[in-house]
Amino acid sequence: MRSLRTPSLGGARAVILHRPHPTVEALTRQLAAIGLQAEAHWPDLGPTALAADFVFFDVDRGHDAQFPWPPGAAPMPMVALIGSEAPGRIEWALSMGADAQMLKPVGDGGVHAALLIAHAAFAARRALAAEIDGLRARLAGRRTVVRAVALLAAGSDEEAAYAELRRRAMEWRVTIEEAAARLVAQGGPLVRRRPA
Amino acid sequence: MPGMARTAAAHRAAFPGGGGGAGRVALGVSLAQRIRIGLLLSRSGSYAILSAACRSGALRAVEEVNADPAFPFALDPVERDPAGESDAYAPLCAELVSQGARHILGCVTSWSRKEVIPTLERLGAVLWYPCPYEGFEASSQVVYVHACPSRHLVPLLAWALPRFGARGYLTGSNYIWGWEVNRVARDLIQEAGETVLGERYLPLGDCDAGRMLAEIRATRPGFVLNNLVGASSYAFLAAMARLREEEGLAIPVLSCNLTECELPTLGAAAEGLIAAGPSFGEGNGSLEAAAHAAVLSLARRMATAGPEAPLDALLAAPDGGALEIDPATHHATLPALVARVEGGAFRVLERQEARPPDPYLARRPSFAAARLRAVAP
Repeated sequence: MRSLRTPSLGGARAVILHRPHPTVEALTRQLAAIGLQAEAHWPDLGPTALAADFVFFDVDRGHDAQFPWPPGAAPMPMVALIGSEAPGRIEWALSMGADAQMLKPVGDGGVHAALLIAHAAFAARRALAAEIDGLRARLAGRRTVVRAVALLAAGSDEEAAYAELRRRAMEWRVTIEEAAARLVAQGGPLVRRRPA
Repeated sequence: MPGMARTAAAHRAAFPGGGGGAGRVALGVSLAQRIRIGLLLSRSGSYAILSAACRSGALRAVEEVNADPAFPFALDPVERDPAGESDAYAPLCAELVSQGARHILGCVTSWSRKEVIPTLERLGAVLWYPCPYEGFEASSQVVYVHACPSRHLVPLLAWALPRFGARGYLTGSNYIWGWEVNRVARDLIQEAGETVLGERYLPLGDCDAGRMLAEIRATRPGFVLNNLVGASSYAFLAAMARLREEEGLAIPVLSCNLTECELPTLGAAAEGLIAAGPSFGEGNGSLEAAAHAAVLSLARRMATAGPEAPLDALLAAPDGGALEIDPATHHATLPALVARVEGGAFRVLERQEARPPDPYLARRPSFAAARLRAVAP
């Protein structure tokens, strides 16, 4: 089981993107009880939203232009406030990068769970994105690695050439992909030492 | 001055009862008016002793209010007994409301409290909850009169970890109270750089502590945090006392919910137990005091704001210092005491002054600083 690292919520800042409405009052009450500072924004997120730790956003009347970041690129966990469950609205909430959701009308509970789930989902999404970026970079370097091994293999076998590439990467303290790129740029294995 | 008859000095600190009148403003209430209040407490079942303490505190406050001519009304308690069956609470709660009780004092376990909250919301009734609980809740229909972890578990472990050291064993009854208090305890213990050796649960009412004892005997923890409730707890503590007498294995046992009302049942097995709570040392303990403070506070607030006033208005009304409730969380502002049973009675070891409640532990102190700071017991 993945252990839930409880985020420190005391003094955290939540921004609610919703027109003045009892939903905002109910959210604000729950957030205050938990220990967060809440502010409501409408019709769009003001500049202070960028410093928020959580954003709650209305799905019923929401649109892309309300946010100071491109769809899906929010720098903090996002909680969707869903009234209409029409597929089009859910699709839009997902495109904005909702990490958790609450159904309207918001009553007496649900905010704490939404905060914890959004926090965990956001952290997981970030970690996955970083991992995928790393894997993509390695994948992109694969052709270069093949070419570098071919260069090094001139006269010897492929396995030894790959071992040589690894050895150089370690010596240069770079990834194998980076070492391969350097070798290919140099046009061959002639330079055996890192330039001083 | 209504409701001024107080005996216990120690209780006055946590649930002061205080001065202040029922208020001269009667808001057109006739002198003969009787106000129904509900009592939803189990008079049998595995935690009946805890319910009995709450019931006695509530009824004592009812008597005081009714004997005090300054109150423009009399309280008329109506009772329902769920007999320790969690599924009986919600329907009996609805029954109390249908009998005219808009305010109900009751529930001992969190299980039962969670059962009645949807009913309270549906019917617009209010529960005054007089027992310690695991936190992470702030219902607009509940007033949390006793302590949450920021006022029991956190001060208890802050006191205990530097004294009893690195290795703890956790027990609990198999529902949200035990699970969540132990989950927080595990976080705090690990943050302090220490270890949880084991964690084991018994169903409510189950008295077979054999497996727990075997594990404790095998791992020899520096302390046990006991979150068992009622009969299970008595069986476990009796077995721990035998371990001490027969095998000389004296392991400190900590509790977040032990009060005076259980000491007669525990007898000699209570000796040495360490507990945290809002008051110790007088009367029948803090459950009784909390229930008393809740009913007295409610009556005084009704005397000023009117018996039909919505909860927010009641909480804004004065109550002569009987019970300070934070309007944002509906939790009581309470001191936190750590006490040990010595010679059959609690002796206070440490006292933290009253502090605003923090039910979601959003502002708890870091336990990382507690590392390596050993203190003599």
